[in-house]
Amino acid sequence: MTNTIQILSIEKTGKESSLQKEHNNKSIKIIDGYFFSTNLDDQKFTKISKLISNDVSQTILTKKNVNNVLSSYSNFNWVVEIKFLPGVTDNIATTVKEIIKDNLKSSFKSFELGSTKIILIKGRKEDITKISKNEANPLIQTIKIYPFKKYLNNFKKNQFKIEKVKLPKKKYSKKEINLDISDHQLSLIGKLGIEEIDKSRRGTLGLDLESLKAIRNYFSTIKRKPTDVEIETLAQTWSEHCKHKIFSAKIDDIHEGIFKKYIKGATEKIIQLRKDNFCVSLFTDNAGGIEFNNDWIICHKVETHNTPSALDPFGGAITGIVGVNRDCLGFGKGAKPIANTYAYYLADPNKNYQLYRQKNNNDPMLPANFIAKGIISGVRVGGNCSGIPTPQGNVYFDDRFAGKPLVFCGTVGIIPKKIKGKLSHKKKANPGDIILMAGGRVGKDGIHGATFSSEELDPNSPVSAVQIGDPITQKKMSDVIIRELRDENLYSSITDNGAGGLSSSIGEMAKESGGFIVDLEKVPLKYNGLYPWEIWVSESQERMTLAVPPANVKKVIKRFNARGVEATIIGKFIKKEKAIVKYNKTEILNLDMEFLHEGYPKLNLKTSFPKIKKEKKKIIKKSSLIDKLHKLLSSTNIVSKEFIATQYDHEVQATSIIKPLQGEGRVFGNATAIKPLFDDEKSIALSQAAYPQYAETNPYDMAGCSIDTAYKNLIVSGANSKKIAILDNFCWCSSDEPDRLYQLKEAAKACYDYAVAYQTPFISGKDSMFNDFKGFNKAGKSVKISIPPTLLISSIGVVDKISHLTKITPDDGDILVVLGKTRNELQNSVYSKIIGYKKSKNPVVNSKDALRTYRNFEKANKLGIINSAIGIDLGGIGIAVAKMAIASKKGLTIDLKLKNKISVDQYLFSETQSRILVSIKKNNLANFKKIFITSDYTIIGKCTGSDVIEFKDNKKIMRSKISDFAKSYKQNIKGL
Amino acid sequence: MNVLVLSGYGINCENETLHAFEVVGFKGKIIHINDLIQNPKQLNNYQVFAIPGGFSYGDDTGSGNAMAKKIMTNLYDQLIDFSLKDKLILGICNGCQILINLGLVPSLNKKDPEVAMIENKSGSYECRWVDVKVSNNKSPWLENISTLNLPVAHQEGQFMIPINLLKSIKANNLISLQYIDHHKKLAKGQFPFNPNGSKDDIAALTNQNGNVLAMMPHPERAFYHYHIPNWQSKTLKKFGDGYKIFMNAKKFFA
Repeated sequence: MTNTIQILSIEKTGKESSLQKEHNNKSIKIIDGYFFSTNLDDQKFTKISKLISNDVSQTILTKKNVNNVLSSYSNFNWVVEIKFLPGVTDNIATTVKEIIKDNLKSSFKSFELGSTKIILIKGRKEDITKISKNEANPLIQTIKIYPFKKYLNNFKKNQFKIEKVKLPKKKYSKKEINLDISDHQLSLIGKLGIEEIDKSRRGTLGLDLESLKAIRNYFSTIKRKPTDVEIETLAQTWSEHCKHKIFSAKIDDIHEGIFKKYIKGATEKIIQLRKDNFCVSLFTDNAGGIEFNNDWIICHKVETHNTPSALDPFGGAITGIVGVNRDCLGFGKGAKPIANTYAYYLADPNKNYQLYRQKNNNDPMLPANFIAKGIISGVRVGGNCSGIPTPQGNVYFDDRFAGKPLVFCGTVGIIPKKIKGKLSHKKKANPGDIILMAGGRVGKDGIHGATFSSEELDPNSPVSAVQIGDPITQKKMSDVIIRELRDENLYSSITDNGAGGLSSSIGEMAKESGGFIVDLEKVPLKYNGLYPWEIWVSESQERMTLAVPPANVKKVIKRFNARGVEATIIGKFIKKEKAIVKYNKTEILNLDMEFLHEGYPKLNLKTSFPKIKKEKKKIIKKSSLIDKLHKLLSSTNIVSKEFIATQYDHEVQATSIIKPLQGEGRVFGNATAIKPLFDDEKSIALSQAAYPQYAETNPYDMAGCSIDTAYKNLIVSGANSKKIAILDNFCWCSSDEPDRLYQLKEAAKACYDYAVAYQTPFISGKDSMFNDFKGFNKAGKSVKISIPPTLLISSIGVVDKISHLTKITPDDGDILVVLGKTRNELQNSVYSKIIGYKKSKNPVVNSKDALRTYRNFEKANKLGIINSAIGIDLGGIGIAVAKMAIASKKGLTIDLKLKNKISVDQYLFSETQSRILVSIKKNNLANFKKIFITSDYTIIGKCTGSDVIEFKDNKKIMRSKISDFAKSYKQNIKGL
Repeated sequence: MNVLVLSGYGINCENETLHAFEVVGFKGKIIHINDLIQNPKQLNNYQVFAIPGGFSYGDDTGSGNAMAKKIMTNLYDQLIDFSLKDKLILGICNGCQILINLGLVPSLNKKDPEVAMIENKSGSYECRWVDVKVSNNKSPWLENISTLNLPVAHQEGQFMIPINLLKSIKANNLISLQYIDHHKKLAKGQFPFNPNGSKDDIAALTNQNGNVLAMMPHPERAFYHYHIPNWQSKTLKKFGDGYKIFMNAKKFFA
């Protein structure tokens, strides 16, 4: 009899090696443990352990062998036992349960189990504690440290325990909330949540006083008190996360708000100017859609998952990526996800910031390297397990992300234009349609996620706001939808369950039919004891909501079930514009749809001109040009991110055509391309850009630079300039402060100006407005760390022909040319940060000049005149030259006889926008000059094919080996 | 010539694998494991059984393990039967891990699995292109091929083989692909040429008949010339190296 199965690898695993190396301790061994809620008899123990282990590579521990087996590895004296907290998604346990049920059929039915990581160590207790901190997150896991002897004892006496979710078994009775109370009491409800009988609070609703008063007014008009479910629902639906109140608010004299005026306004203006069918579906759906070819639409969406990733980096990031995958599944009738993108803005992983959410060094922020590693692996597991390639991304480091990392996750999807003769991007839940919930079950995951991600991270942030994605459950569900349901038009509408859970998804879809009636007790639960309001707002992952005509319901459920996916009828859509929720036949929510969606008080925002924070001048360190190049190449924001590219599967689906690592020398590219259809040579090029470093100096130009770079990268990759669309993701800070709002307004204005100038429409976007950390430093002093305003522009474009795709590697004899003018724009550059800085300016984009360059480039590229090309961005010409040489492993000679009043350093490292470094074959030079007569260019050197890069000015030649530059460029980032 | 491409529970390379077979002339179908379990007789309609790459069951309890157990419980005899006929079986990446866990490869002493797939030595997932050489002509899948340039993408690609078994594997010529370096010499465990630390640089094994091939690299991802890294700088034919493997299957039945 035993209640545990514990398995260890006979040989040292990769994980064990890296742990041993990291802690300089050879006596570390990891056991995969499974704790069962019931005792297993010997027969079951043998059967199950055989099912979940490998005879060849693993040993199963038993009461008999445990001592001998383990002592053969080392003389362990400590044990770290890491388990998930009750209720936290345990994907391994889910699989094991499935294996057992699948293979043992009826012989073993009702049981619970939890997966456990057991680390055995020989060492001092201090070291053990340190290791455990690196391996677990107390927010989602319990960590027990105890002597090895106790472990043996536990083993022999069946004392390993699984912790089950313990929820109050109190029956739910409809709860009415009295809002006729003082303003103070009212605002407490908003800030801390609804009060329970025992005076405890449910957790923040994120509702301000004005909103609560609007709710009070509504209910006094309909002459009854609101229920708790109604207040919870309104809090979700009206959250900043769901309604984007700041973007839609009147701001200064902009009555329609910045979203309507600048973002949507830009797209409307562009559609009017272009007069084509490029834009298919904009802003209204889960993702934005554009035309790919005559038969297919592609869609793109980028989301942020910042606050959850600060609390649980792995869980936050995996949920971020599988969550945005669902946005594609929920685009139109369901687009197939074909590529993921990522962008991380992180604190220096090599620094120890020592920040605490509470006084007296309590509730510490996770260390920066733990956050960085967790985020990187979260997206790895989410993307790889889903079979969606993740080719495109970037990482940027700055101390100001120490309080909150920014995690952008994006997905591209593809869908036929028409399905059974009907436009696929149009969907409409009809009155009478059944509401079907498919995918995972509902637990307490992420309760209050939507309301909480709109709030600053402070000591009262609820910990239950963390979810962990389960990519396999989602993959199973996704396959059924795309392959077995969609193309037969078996449902009329579909959307995903993300922030706000069912309350949001059903609420949004019901706009199409009128209203809805939901029976909450029908929703399948992970464990009993959830209150109806929790079921209604839970953010448990991997669920889609479908509107299915009654005639098809049986068929749809059957197809889901046949693939091991649950699907449950939970209500129906109705014509009447009412939102109605029942729980065991008692009506617990009954709201007018109009009030639910539009009843929130509109904000009226004022901005004020901020004090411009100019970069402090820094003395330029004296060193040689070569030395400076090495320093820049190895700086965290320029150094290669190859280690991420190789752990993200970018080849799956066999679509990768321009890969993240480019040239024989493997340079981390700033654009990638996939060819999504076997029978069409058209490709999709992807890129993205953000310049938080420019934001405090000039938010308008910061936004201009982001749009220019994201657009330019696609032009450089070979995309058709008429088929480029962009997405905006604003991550702001302190958006209740007038000077931050001024920056926001300026950035949005630039979005309009540059998008219209480039005629590249915004097709989708998202904002996250409060990325601030309020807490304490080590000395106990209260600190506030705000991220620099960050606008990520993601670009997606169509490349018409394979021959248009460019490469970054020049050939021997090529002439090197910089397209575009170089100005002294070193302020806030990588050079100024690393080397020093005198008098300079922030980069400003001149869209007219830029467009002339881009149009000429496009023309020349189509004619085959461009042999290789790379966009010039961080680190300027110097870094672009180095990357070309490293990628091609071919030497370059650069001529520095400069004509204008610009120094060598300013010329080589300035981050002036809208420039491209290209190489031209000699015999194309005349043709090149003909085309580029209307735009600026400078011939700067040639490709020699040697093994060095050399820079020549009037006096001397400076050179260094390409292999040395490559070494600097490929250095490991410290702390990762 | 019909190919059955398996899907379900997180397998994810079925579309491109089927496409590769179709281009060389096969007719084929993607069939969900549950449908195959429901009606195993349909196996009779196929000459090739392909288990594509992916992340069946999220690699939980070891890559390929859970799916292998599902097959063992429900389809084992039918699959053994298939492997004993004049038919072909291919397992790519996760498919390779599943075949190894089923014991269909190397299948020297039947039934129980003899080889294990374990975590890469680097401890991390590796998505990169490698060169492999064909170590013998045992398998029809690899006939007339000397080297291949293909991508790998896996977390657990290391073949773990007990010493005695390795001897008989070698004696029976069952090592079919091995990682090589830039000079076409065996990688000798050297990263990144050997991306996972596999002993003897093993990238693929066959059974004794050679009709069952379990390979970690992905031929379907190196099918067209534009799949190859930096294809723009190279003079290439229409197809990449992966094509040869699928063509060999066609030739086998021609």
